[in-house]
Amino acid sequence: MLLLKLLQQFVRALNSDGTPGQVAAGLALGAALGLTPLVNVHNLALFAVITLANVSFPGAMLGWALFVPVGFALDPLFDMIGRRLLLDTAALQPLWTSVYNTPVLSLTNFNNTIVLGSFVVWLLLVLPLFFVVRAGVARYRVHVYQRLAQTRLFKAVTASKLYNVYRLFRPD
Amino acid sequence: MQLVRWKALVPLVVFGALFAVGWWLFADRATRRAVEYVGAEVVGARVDVAAADLRLAEGAVRLSGLAVTNPEQPMRNLFEADEIVAYVRTLPLLEKKAILDTVAVRGLRFGTERRESGALARPSPTSGRIVREVSGWARSVRIPSLSLEALTGLVDVAAISPDSLRTLSQARAVVGQADSIERAFRSELAALDPRPRLDSARALTQRLREADPARLGIAGIRSLAESGRSQISSLDDLGRQVGALDDRVKASVASLQAGVQGLADVRARDLAWARGLLRLPSLDSPDLSPALFGDIALAKVQPFLYWLRVAEEYLPPGLDPRRRPGPGRVRASGTSVTFPRREAMPAFLLSYAAADLELGGTGAGAGRYAARLTGLTTQPAIYGRPMVLAAQRSGGTAGPRDVGLKAVLNHVARPLRDSVIVSLSGLTLAPVALPALGARLGLGQVAMQLSLERVGDSLNARMVWRTANASWTRDGSPPDPNARVGSRAWAEGLLWRTVSSLRSVELEARLSGSLRSPALAIRSNVGREVAAAMRRELGAQVAQAEARVRGEVDRLVQARVEEARRGVDALSARAAEAVSAQRQELTNVRSTLEAEIRRLTARLPIRIP
Repeated sequence: MLLLKLLQQFVRALNSDGTPGQVAAGLALGAALGLTPLVNVHNLALFAVITLANVSFPGAMLGWALFVPVGFALDPLFDMIGRRLLLDTAALQPLWTSVYNTPVLSLTNFNNTIVLGSFVVWLLLVLPLFFVVRAGVARYRVHVYQRLAQTRLFKAVTASKLYNVYRLFRPD
Repeated sequence: MQLVRWKALVPLVVFGALFAVGWWLFADRATRRAVEYVGAEVVGARVDVAAADLRLAEGAVRLSGLAVTNPEQPMRNLFEADEIVAYVRTLPLLEKKAILDTVAVRGLRFGTERRESGALARPSPTSGRIVREVSGWARSVRIPSLSLEALTGLVDVAAISPDSLRTLSQARAVVGQADSIERAFRSELAALDPRPRLDSARALTQRLREADPARLGIAGIRSLAESGRSQISSLDDLGRQVGALDDRVKASVASLQAGVQGLADVRARDLAWARGLLRLPSLDSPDLSPALFGDIALAKVQPFLYWLRVAEEYLPPGLDPRRRPGPGRVRASGTSVTFPRREAMPAFLLSYAAADLELGGTGAGAGRYAARLTGLTTQPAIYGRPMVLAAQRSGGTAGPRDVGLKAVLNHVARPLRDSVIVSLSGLTLAPVALPALGARLGLGQVAMQLSLERVGDSLNARMVWRTANASWTRDGSPPDPNARVGSRAWAEGLLWRTVSSLRSVELEARLSGSLRSPALAIRSNVGREVAAAMRRELGAQVAQAEARVRGEVDRLVQARVEEARRGVDALSARAAEAVSAQRQELTNVRSTLEAEIRRLTARLPIRIP
């Protein structure tokens, strides 16, 4: 079931009416939801951005789904990075002290090694991810989509009931 | 292309509304869970809250049915509270800071029983570590055993092996050294070989005696006199050599005599060793109290050490970043770091809390109590004042009125300074098992006093429990009054007779030294009474046993010691005699020779130089 949904999102993201840039932006933003621990204020803000900004919502969901296992796998790395930034870099301590003692900002949990480490990694990845995905989607649509649209699987996936809900968030 | 997808605003608002409704529905539950989670982290045992009511608009939190498990006794609560109402500042919540201006506690009860165990399968790393460290310290405290076996079969002198007595080997060594020194002396004396020189001197004396000055002439007399003087000089050298030898022998003999005198010390050590081998009981009262009450005192002092350590952990001084494990989640928890700032608010502050409670009944502890707590904060350096907890009895129907508690935890800066004074009367404690005595001690209504002072890592604490209505219950069958003196049954009977007549019991435990590894000293009048009774009834037995041990040790070592002493004395005498004879002979020969020289030269008309 989960795999089917993932496949659905994948197909919709790749073939939506959005531009490759919108799909790539959605995926890059959605990657944050997967890479960083979910229940944090910054993810709430990102979710609002994904919803309101004219980016591909299925792309964001796909990014989320794809990067959840990556996030789990890279937790030790995030912990190391977060530890280095929070504890081992004296120059940054005034910044963290400000963040920790600022209303709302302290709710982001950036004082946690995993949250900070994963968020920083996402920040580093977001632009490369955007450009790579944008190029990939453009090439896909030119070379693969036309043939894929004729297959039964594609038609079955796009005919699902969720498709109507998805249309609400389809890029204009 | 538009940047904003306006048509998604409605679903987003709906989502936000659902989120708000979810919050409204589950905030109470989240609050309850948060209190339970944080409480369990700090206490190291389960904290249960029956219901929570969060009213952010009023800045109030109401907790009902709070039960905090005693980490030492998971089937008992440290305390229960029917209702706790806290007034919380709302804005600091946006900084994840809990600033509680006032907290009112109602229906507080201590030591209540739990229906289910409050032990945590996995306690927090901090409390788990503290529990392990305090338990490790408790295990390292050596509680001496009061072994009844030690009171029975008091004497078994066959256990003393001659080979194990150092006196014997030491005495043998002294005798051997004496023999060796005498051989060396004789050898050196022979090496000096005085006989040729003495014979030569005697021959010269004879020549001088027979010399005719008229025939010899002045030159001949002078030559003969010079030979005589040269001989005298040689005899003087010989005398000095004999003297030096005498000095050396005397020094060696003195060393041997010191060795002989040292045998007394070695024998005393042998005696102590043999006495220990026989496991005679120690009748000193300081030894008996730890044996009797060590376990119970240890159990009573451990909570204090635990809570001091918890306070140190959660109320740390200074403003350095502090680490703690991150929140539990499916993902890794990581480490959360707090960055306190002097100008900001602390992460947690309870400015003022008040609790009023009433203990019912007609017992000594019945009455009304009031407790006040100020300045409980996780960042004392920011708050700038110590935490003060005071509790006292505000009114009672019976019993004494000296119930009070005052605790001041000053963690504003290093060194940490904690002081706690507790005075409780009418405390009912459960009967205490005393396996060493084969009895149970019912303490009844107990008065307890605690004074504790901690500065940095240095701890000084004194706890005293007193009761005037102790009761004693024998475990197992009553002792046999006709038991043979020295038997186990007799020893049990003695102990039972002594303690069962005691109604007044006082137990004192002292902790001193490092907070992490303090020394524990225990005293009690029970220990003293038992010791006194044992001394009365066992004194003769022990003295007799010790005399037999001493006799056996003496029997084994006396002959050797005497032999050593005789050997040294004989050596001293023989050496003195030999040296004296040698000296006497030298003196005689020298005097005769000198007289003959003087006689010969005296006849000359001129003085020979």
